[in-house]
Amino acid sequence: MILASFKQNKSLGCSEGRYPVKRHLVGSAAGVALALVLTGCGKGGSSGGADADGKTIRFVAAKYDDDTQPYWENLIKDFEAENPGYQVELEVVDWEQIDSKVKTYTQTGQQPDVLNYNKFSDFARDDLIHRAKDVVSPKVLDDFLPIFADQAQYEGVQYGLPFISSARLFFYNKDIFDKAGISEPPSSWAEVEDAAEKVKKAGDIPLGLPLGAEEAQAEFSIWAMNNGGGWTDKSGQWAVDQRANVETLDFLQKLTKAGLTQPNPEATNRKDVFNQFAQGKIGMINGAVFMRKGFIDTVDKKLNYGVAPLPSKDGTTHNTLGVQDYLVAFKKDEDKNREAVNKFLDFFYQKKNASKFLSTEGFLSVTKSAGDALSADSAYYKPFVDALSGARFAPTGNPNWATVEGAVKQRIGTAVSSAEPEEVLSEIQKTAEKDG
Amino acid sequence: MSVQDVTARIVGAEEDRTPAAPERGSRRPRPARRLRALEPLLWLGPALVLILAVVVWPVVEMVRTSLMDISSTGLTRGFAGGANYTELFAEPDLPGVVLRTLIWVVGVVTVTITVSLGLAQLLNARFPGRRLVRWALIVPWAASVLMTALTWRWMLNNFYGVVNRVLMDVGILDKPVNWLADPVQSFAWMMAVAVFVSLPFTAFVILSGLGTIPAEVYEAARLDGAGPVRTYLGVTLPLLRPSLLVAAIINVINVFNSFPVIWAMTRGGPGFSTDTTTTYMYKLAFDNQDVGESAAMAVVNFALILLVVLVYLRVVRHREETG
Repeated sequence: MILASFKQNKSLGCSEGRYPVKRHLVGSAAGVALALVLTGCGKGGSSGGADADGKTIRFVAAKYDDDTQPYWENLIKDFEAENPGYQVELEVVDWEQIDSKVKTYTQTGQQPDVLNYNKFSDFARDDLIHRAKDVVSPKVLDDFLPIFADQAQYEGVQYGLPFISSARLFFYNKDIFDKAGISEPPSSWAEVEDAAEKVKKAGDIPLGLPLGAEEAQAEFSIWAMNNGGGWTDKSGQWAVDQRANVETLDFLQKLTKAGLTQPNPEATNRKDVFNQFAQGKIGMINGAVFMRKGFIDTVDKKLNYGVAPLPSKDGTTHNTLGVQDYLVAFKKDEDKNREAVNKFLDFFYQKKNASKFLSTEGFLSVTKSAGDALSADSAYYKPFVDALSGARFAPTGNPNWATVEGAVKQRIGTAVSSAEPEEVLSEIQKTAEKDG
Repeated sequence: MSVQDVTARIVGAEEDRTPAAPERGSRRPRPARRLRALEPLLWLGPALVLILAVVVWPVVEMVRTSLMDISSTGLTRGFAGGANYTELFAEPDLPGVVLRTLIWVVGVVTVTITVSLGLAQLLNARFPGRRLVRWALIVPWAASVLMTALTWRWMLNNFYGVVNRVLMDVGILDKPVNWLADPVQSFAWMMAVAVFVSLPFTAFVILSGLGTIPAEVYEAARLDGAGPVRTYLGVTLPLLRPSLLVAAIINVINVFNSFPVIWAMTRGGPGFSTDTTTTYMYKLAFDNQDVGESAAMAVVNFALILLVVLVYLRVVRHREETG
């Protein structure tokens, strides 16, 4: 509850511009305390909980874009038509708010029955969610591609249900490259630097480097994994401050200081540089599979761009960052909700439904069946699907990852501007070693 | 505690009044007197219940949460003692954040009140179109602070921002500046925006204060030969003291707790370099995934602001007594 009211206090609707004027301010400390809280807005009413018969479930979905809500509304309509008596209450939440919302729900015991989220393992650690095999049929369980199912395990048991995936590849603007006299996309870091110098001379922004809070962990991870670095060592222990990571930041700092990136990478969010790339203002960028649907096609369908493997330090092996989101099913009193949840999840994972979500949102499949259904339109998606087979993921199976990710988002950008890479990384390492 | 509960209790409290109703015509003096002694409680009851529910209870909950061990999922795992506080005070970024909060509060409130004094004087003067100007001043107040902050973020953007455009056209800058990327610059800009959104309220409080100063006092001052400066310092300002007090305290509280301006413009970044305790508190909960430590920060925040306001009141009262 305090979280709810605290959140409400700080939430954006409550502004310092609106002051309830209180006359009884002057005087006692009690008066002051009163004003303190009164000016902080009150808490709204709470939403209704689950029903008694277990046939109505609550589903909280993350908002990928404007097509998300209509997709789920249609799916739920079909589901309810096919399963009379069952009902799904939908709530679509923006990614910006979903963290605070989920925490508030958990703390106040109002968890949804099904949640679409980018983490699962701390729920599993706290024994809040069902195991995967308890909420989907064996057929669905078998249908998950192993690489994603493996990333959905906590202590050897699969809890998360892979939902969508994305892969990152290197995007470059062919027109800008032509203008700068570059014929091939860079493969090694030295070539990136070289190409960036040429683009800069030709008058464009060479490299988009988004190290602002939005997705800094992904951007850093892409560069680090292509230098042999990463979040953990071989034994799975946190190794954020390892040598290879320091070198990676040194390199990125060098590019920044030489003016080979957009101004102020530490304050630039991913969506800003993706947009600028779509507008043809940036020469090259670590792009994502949803670039085309989410950014390029909405701005300039004719943008002349190419897609290449992510450049690596030595230019020989190229790693790809894989990202997946999950569905998780929360435990509710005495498993009453399990049958309804099971029905709903099995319904979603039907080939036509799952693949429709992927094509609606421009993501990659996590199941064999939906992947087969999507083979049309493959010219653009094929390199991403191929790259996924060897992709590296963030350690989402570690419950502490959420905390580490938060620390990285806040801190890593400063390493290319004001702070020393080594200090920044060791600060994050300290956070990682703390208990969740 | 939901709103419904509160109303339910208020209704309950009102129902209690019914047995007291026939008391007026009652012949039995003793119980009647006893009931009459309870009467104030009936009138105060709803307000007391409201205060307990809306004010005291959240504070108690906040303190309680700060003593709990809360998992990153939001699940309460048990009593943590002072661990959250130890962790909070060990944060290397905390001193900078607290210092910045002080600069933020003192800076924004001082500038706001100074400018508002002038604005209020202007609005108090008689001139054609005064009503229109008064209405215009309300606009930044009526607009959502978040909207204002977002608008300013776009105006300060280094690619598309109108601020850079204008400064370059005028010839002050020869290339765009990324205002919100530099900690010092962005903090200054955000303080300016915070002043902007605080002005209307403050100006109107002072304006209403100006309205309460009787014309005779000014007349007396004029007869005594006081010039405009002397009149302002000797008559207007002292008589504005109650309004200034209210304006200052409410501004301190609101500016201290100000979240949307900073969050929308820099999100406290880069790093923690433009955070105040309020945004830092949010980051502790939702970036560091530590609700307990965040609640500890909230308690410290609460204590700090209580302290600031009490000290302020003490100083003002002291001056009143000596001056």
